[in-house]
Amino acid sequence: MLRIAVDAMGGDHGPADVVAAVAAASLALDAELLLVGHERTLTSLLSEQEHNPERIAVYHAANAIGQFENAAKAMQAKRDSSIEVAVRLLADNLADTLVTMGNGDAVVEAARRHLRPIDGIARSARGAVYPTEVRRGEKQDPFVLLLDAGASMEADADELVSFAVMGSAYASCISRNERPRVALLSNGSDETRGLPSVVAAHQKLREMEGIHFVGNIAPIEIPRGTADVVVCAGFYGNLVLGMLHETHEAVLSMARYAHKERLMRNAGMWMLRSGLSRLKEVTDWHQYGGEPLLGYEKVIMIADGRSRMHAIVNAMKVAARAATCELPSTIRQNLQTEAP
Amino acid sequence: MAAANGRVYRWDLDKTYLRTEFETVTGLVRTAFERAHAKQNVPGTAALIRELRRSRSDGAPSRVFFISGSPRQMRNVIEQKLKLDGVQWDGLVLKPNVENLLRGRFRAIKEQVGYKLPVLLESRAGMEPPSPEIMFGDDAEWDAFVYSLYADIIAGRVERSDIERTLQVARVYPDARERIFAALEKVEQGDPVRRVFINLDRRTPPTRLSEYGSRVVPIYNYFQAALVLGEMGDLDAYAVIRVALEMVNRHNYSVDQLSNSYQEILRRGVVSGRIGIEMAQALQDFQPQPGQPSAEEVLHSFERRVRAIPVPPHALKKVSVTPIDYPSLFVREQRRHDERKKKKPVVNLFD
Repeated sequence: MLRIAVDAMGGDHGPADVVAAVAAASLALDAELLLVGHERTLTSLLSEQEHNPERIAVYHAANAIGQFENAAKAMQAKRDSSIEVAVRLLADNLADTLVTMGNGDAVVEAARRHLRPIDGIARSARGAVYPTEVRRGEKQDPFVLLLDAGASMEADADELVSFAVMGSAYASCISRNERPRVALLSNGSDETRGLPSVVAAHQKLREMEGIHFVGNIAPIEIPRGTADVVVCAGFYGNLVLGMLHETHEAVLSMARYAHKERLMRNAGMWMLRSGLSRLKEVTDWHQYGGEPLLGYEKVIMIADGRSRMHAIVNAMKVAARAATCELPSTIRQNLQTEAP
Repeated sequence: MAAANGRVYRWDLDKTYLRTEFETVTGLVRTAFERAHAKQNVPGTAALIRELRRSRSDGAPSRVFFISGSPRQMRNVIEQKLKLDGVQWDGLVLKPNVENLLRGRFRAIKEQVGYKLPVLLESRAGMEPPSPEIMFGDDAEWDAFVYSLYADIIAGRVERSDIERTLQVARVYPDARERIFAALEKVEQGDPVRRVFINLDRRTPPTRLSEYGSRVVPIYNYFQAALVLGEMGDLDAYAVIRVALEMVNRHNYSVDQLSNSYQEILRRGVVSGRIGIEMAQALQDFQPQPGQPSAEEVLHSFERRVRAIPVPPHALKKVSVTPIDYPSLFVREQRRHDERKKKKPVVNLFD
């Protein structure tokens, strides 16, 4: 039976929503749920929920790391944080996957300390998804996967290639996209321009049969959906994602400002409401569940700290899917197949 | 009058001992025409009753009584089922539903207080005060309410006026009311009800039963009940293991499901952990049959779940009897039952 560890202490809203999601999962999923956090709090919350305790084991963690704490310092000071206890469950092979809303840097650090990397992977990568107008795969997934979104700062050519292999395997598994299009993020489509690592990675990816490599793309191509998987070093991934999200928010707030000003504009917005709500639905981050941390023998899903029950449920679904399709071993096999 | 003052175990049947579906017409029809061998137990119940019947407290034999809302016409099939399960019983009371129908007492067909309370009191009237009782019911109907009311009435904790008011709000028929007060005259006052186990068939959150006090123990399966009974001294560790084994062998329970159940009841503070230690010792003698988990596998799983949580206190949580305002509680329970009927099916977010 699939075993999903869930860190209950990480989100902005405290453990109540996490416990509600786990309680619902215990009644609906054929999985064992390992709920990590402050035992008294979790027991008290569980006893207020309809749930199946035969499917839930609680693992006590005395501490929790806050979203905005310095990860390295907090992990030093709080030895038994929920993140660390949960990652250790993966390391000890007591859980197959982990869902956390916790401090992303602390999760990356805990994984680096405790988990075994996949053979052939020198650097882990954090995936992030961004909505596009294109639908992909059997699940009609609107999201493009970008990695690395900030697990580390740099990546050499071989590491970029390994990100491409991981991203491609992830998109195949989660979006059921048989042949995801993979691109390298650069300052344009010219394969001779850009950082030396990107130029070298381009050459390698072009020769790999198992990867559907579509070349280099500029950041502006990401929301257009030119590729299904976009690969870059963590520093650039983090920068580009931050900019895309902020632009999205800025456009929305400008639209809100504009429609308040004039009655006609207000009426126009009213007429567009169904389209806008569809847009909201498509771009709703609650739908995609979380961001995977890839490169280890176990998959960790890092959900947004703002996640409420619905988003946590989606993160659990994605984590369950990643574990069920044995993503780490698929990545390992693909790397071996592509090895020179 | 019963000769001994050994433990008395009172069991409801549907959703407590048997897996019955009476929420749908199909389920009702199936239940009515099902043969004995087709009837399904709630996992662990048959083994638990066999072990309880075998156990003797203070040298006196234990007694098992069933009281069910099933119609009297089902007596044969129910008795056959109990025999198939190897369960011995001392009493089986079924509801006179046809008689109720013929007399136009339609309310009585579903009514619980006016049916179970007189039966329980009449049964108690023939017993010595020291005979301790343990009761088993479920969260589908009114078992927690009726059993608690019964326990508090014979303990003298409910004033006659409150009994009257409760029967009034429960719309109990006058003849049932007369039977209740007649039986009450014959019952020797005492406080024999030790625990009321409520099988959470509908997954009612345990906190919803907290107003009954800690005498009422919500359980998610009968391994949990066996653990509590083990700590109470009604069962030894070997008997608890035999209940667990029936759940593994006949109902496909995994060791992890059992160890999670153990952890859950430990976390709720209903057991102290002493029974777990005794089980670990008893498992040293355990010789698994083919297909059964090894003692090491069981011990590892249980140990992991126990180590995962802070060390529990090794003393059984004292049972508290909370003063209950039964007429008001009845009204609240009625509201909950009505809300449950109206409740839309929960959307499965995991589909």
